[in-house]
Amino acid sequence: MAVTTASLTITSSDLVGDALSLTTTNTLKKANKIEGLDQTTGMNVAYLTSVASIDLFPALVEGSLAFTGKSSWVYICNKSTDETEFALITIGGINIGRLYGGDYLWMPWSMKESANADNHHGDIELKPSVATGMFFDWICINEGTEHHAVDLAIS
Amino acid sequence: MASTSATITLASADMLSDSLSFTTTAALTTAGTATGLSNTSGLARKTTVSTDQYTLYLADEYTADAANKIYLKNTESTATLFFTVTIDDEPMGRLYAGDWAFFPWSATNGTKAAFSVTFAATWADGDTAVFDGVTITLGATETTAAMTDLVVAAKYPNFTVVETSASVATFTAKDSNDLSLIEEGTTSDDYVITTGGNGTGTVARTVAPVASANDIKITPSTTASHTLEHMLFHE
Repeated sequence: MAVTTASLTITSSDLVGDALSLTTTNTLKKANKIEGLDQTTGMNVAYLTSVASIDLFPALVEGSLAFTGKSSWVYICNKSTDETEFALITIGGINIGRLYGGDYLWMPWSMKESANADNHHGDIELKPSVATGMFFDWICINEGTEHHAVDLAIS
Repeated sequence: MASTSATITLASADMLSDSLSFTTTAALTTAGTATGLSNTSGLARKTTVSTDQYTLYLADEYTADAANKIYLKNTESTATLFFTVTIDDEPMGRLYAGDWAFFPWSATNGTKAAFSVTFAATWADGDTAVFDGVTITLGATETTAAMTDLVVAAKYPNFTVVETSASVATFTAKDSNDLSLIEEGTTSDDYVITTGGNGTGTVARTVAPVASANDIKITPSTTASHTLEHMLFHE
């Protein structure tokens, strides 16, 4: 069983009157279990030169029984050093937020079919703000990976 | 300007043949600048005792398309107690015991409903105007201008009101998720006017509401006590 930990530290000496120093660590486990997550897409490094939205995890079959109630975690980082360049991250067509240069996110992912009754099926999509080239990293750590069958028709 | 940093470390010695270990630090800045975010909700905790859906942050209350950041943590230790985090009605994922998340938030605003009431003729002693739980009762004969002043001076729980002309008051909902359409006309069932004389108040819709699709909501998995820690950094 794999042991993977995710830690976060948020610090600020001047955001509020008292110093902010928040640290938290958790071990990534399968849903309702003490077993660690044991599957991953691996770290993707991409240089995107279009402002078109892309599906970050097309190899995973969203909304399938294999993922019902499962635990999945997503990390995305905008590696741009230009603070004005951002990427809009959406889930199922709904805006999550903008990752500006240097920003990252760490979020759970249900992969449920979209509640909006469209065809997004909980997809996580990334849309760069410029077409001049931006680097991104992303990884999904999960359980129950189910890959597309060959030539699977996706609605 | 405040200086705030958020550092994530992901590590695993045995998930892959090679060890996984990386650290990323982000300075929390306003959109497109090097200026630090200077506003926060503060670190807070919410304990739930039902499986109802709770709204943590209303998008209408924050700047849209800014570099807002949200921190969430399920502080429970019982593995089966989780929160489902949704952005409006779109499920993002589940926070099981001890899990935390840190992500940007667009806070995309909705459109708040608005309508106007045009007052005319003469208002008599005892006439009333009732809206949003507030009743205005005249103690003397009033002109339309005076009636408008009285309506604008009142405090409404779910609407703000301004005087747009001497005889017109315009109401705007405080929350875009209030999708009720106020009935229009001189005999609106929503803005109820009762007069003994010839005073009238004509209701006209000026803005139709559109709900925000970006509120941050949580749904506990059981009715047992669940506690979520949360913090918003915003512009």
